[in-house]
Amino acid sequence: MKLKVFLAVFACKLTIKLLRLLGRGGTAIPGKIALRICPDLLFQLAKDVKCVVVTGTNGKTTSSRIIEEIYVKAEASYFANRSGANLINGITSIFIENSTLTGKPKKENAVIECDEAASKEVCRLINPAVVLVTNVFRDQLDRYGEVSGTLENILIGIKNSPRAVVCLNSDCSLTASIAEQIPNRVIFYGVDVPIYKNPVSEVSDAPHCIKCKHEYEYSYRTFGHLGGFCCPDCGYKRPEPQVSVTDILSTELSFTKVRVQVFGEDDVITINLPGGYNIYNAVGALAVSEAVGFRRMLAKDAIASFTCGFGRMEEFDLGGHSARIILVKNPAGANQVLNYLAGLSAETVFVCCLNDNSADGKDVSWVWDANFEKLADMSELIPEIYVSGIRSGDMAVRLKYAGIDEDKLRIFDDYDELIDAMKNQSLPVIIMPTYTAMMDLRAKMSTAFGGKEFWE
Amino acid sequence: MKLSICHLYPDVLNLYGDTGNIICLKKRLEWRGIDTEVTLLPIGANADLSRFDLFFIGGGQDFEQEVLLTDLHGGKDKEILAAVEDEKVFLCICGGYQMMGQYYLTHTGQQCDYIGALKLHTVGSDVRMIGNYMFKCAEESSGSTIVGFENHSGRTYLGEGVSPLGTVLHGFGNNGEDHTEGARFKNVFGAYCHGPMLPKNPEFADLILQTALSRRYPGTVLPPLGDGLEINAHDHMADRMEKQ
Repeated sequence: MKLKVFLAVFACKLTIKLLRLLGRGGTAIPGKIALRICPDLLFQLAKDVKCVVVTGTNGKTTSSRIIEEIYVKAEASYFANRSGANLINGITSIFIENSTLTGKPKKENAVIECDEAASKEVCRLINPAVVLVTNVFRDQLDRYGEVSGTLENILIGIKNSPRAVVCLNSDCSLTASIAEQIPNRVIFYGVDVPIYKNPVSEVSDAPHCIKCKHEYEYSYRTFGHLGGFCCPDCGYKRPEPQVSVTDILSTELSFTKVRVQVFGEDDVITINLPGGYNIYNAVGALAVSEAVGFRRMLAKDAIASFTCGFGRMEEFDLGGHSARIILVKNPAGANQVLNYLAGLSAETVFVCCLNDNSADGKDVSWVWDANFEKLADMSELIPEIYVSGIRSGDMAVRLKYAGIDEDKLRIFDDYDELIDAMKNQSLPVIIMPTYTAMMDLRAKMSTAFGGKEFWE
Repeated sequence: MKLSICHLYPDVLNLYGDTGNIICLKKRLEWRGIDTEVTLLPIGANADLSRFDLFFIGGGQDFEQEVLLTDLHGGKDKEILAAVEDEKVFLCICGGYQMMGQYYLTHTGQQCDYIGALKLHTVGSDVRMIGNYMFKCAEESSGSTIVGFENHSGRTYLGEGVSPLGTVLHGFGNNGEDHTEGARFKNVFGAYCHGPMLPKNPEFADLILQTALSRRYPGTVLPPLGDGLEINAHDHMADRMEKQ
């Protein structure tokens, strides 16, 4: 057994070195090789590491970054899967990178972002101390199937985590329903008040009670199906959160200030990223901090100072004007970007890059579920919209039918031309790419305008 | 001029951007100066179906199927049957398409009875037919080539008197066996085509509109539109699939 572990770890470390030498940041291949040699390697490597697992449809990366920042502030020894390598191969790679050749951990803690579908297997192997479930939205149906299937996967993952404290979003009727099905200690977190003054209208991904299928009633909504849900028939309702946002004090271009209540104690925190969904990411991280047992001050500092994951509100300087990349994966995410745009008061160029590789979702139908009609209402503030990516054709059609004047649309088949166009005008730019489009585009933008390699 | 569109069960049959078909129908009428009224008919809501010109039914999740069937068999099924007989225009996608048929046989052997407006039935399987696909419509259904995305585990078999909407050029279609895709019966158009179906396939979208318009205002002809972006998106996918 020991020999197998050694061989697997050695082969993986070697592959990582080789890939780096070749200037490539492959994060999945090394883990795949290692697992081929030693199938239960992840279990062996993780058994002495205290892990926080972050899963759910949206907000995994940003939540993980905030949690990581809490470990930094606490000066705790930890590692994390930084580059969004959140399937079993990538997660195995990162455990190997942080182990000695004999498979002993070099760090005591780990913050692991985990794909929803992979979570059942990953949790079984690493037996986490804390699991954070951000939310469950409709996402890449070709890959994940229906939301009920995603929820089931997450539930199995938690059932495979017998010792974990589980942090659940109380405002998501799907996520919150996990609580009754597990014996674990649960900390609910949520937002007690509406977030946006004028949110886009959205199709709810969960209009009917998960228990009795009656339609929910809402005392308020934050966005999507999140909010104060209550089933008038069977009585299933939003559980009372122990960690919650009780008031939105101010929404600025680059941060949000909110009042929170943590186990009965009031405080004011500044979230170092704009956008309503980041309020959920922050308060979810706060719940994790409580679950781990950090001092509250540390979490508060971390939330006020963390920097975002690549492509998540990441900012580039184009030479006098800025570009922000906001990764989207599904209608809920795109609607949040549109809500963010609607809150801007300066003229902006909007860029959409739509790809259909498997990491993006091969079915691009979802763009019709996002409310791009909102863009037509903002037409004075958005003089031009650039469209690019493998499925730029579909994106352009979507925007045309959203009521955008065709003359405003510019289609770019090539990212270099797109980057030149962004640079050669003077307005701030908001870029909304899907996953693989973001990876390609940000690599080019990092070269042109400076930035980190994605595995750093 | 005005067309009345009824969106059936928008609260549960709203997967995969199918609502984009409604957006498309509305816009293509608006650009030609024709008014539209879209009535949403969720579960539990009732309306006199005879007053609508065009019906749209999308695809949904299995989770809500039970609630939907209860509502359907509470009387709406008979009204839908009457509207079909009356040659009203229906566009039915995926789950909505299956629902217009006679029944669905799950792969565990359970039978769900549907509306029975079209002589066709669907058999569940545990293999999903998924991916970009393309089919050529029969001449009476525009003769155009449709590109889209299919994602279904049900295999649909057409019965007597029901013609396929088209012939599969790439992908699976109705059942992955007989190269048929979708169904056409009177003015009912059924297909597995997500994407959504209409925006990238403007010729077919106009056939739907023209059929509904001719029924309401005989002799009216839809003027053409500039469909450059639509054709560009269509051709991109058609080329890609031809090369595969």
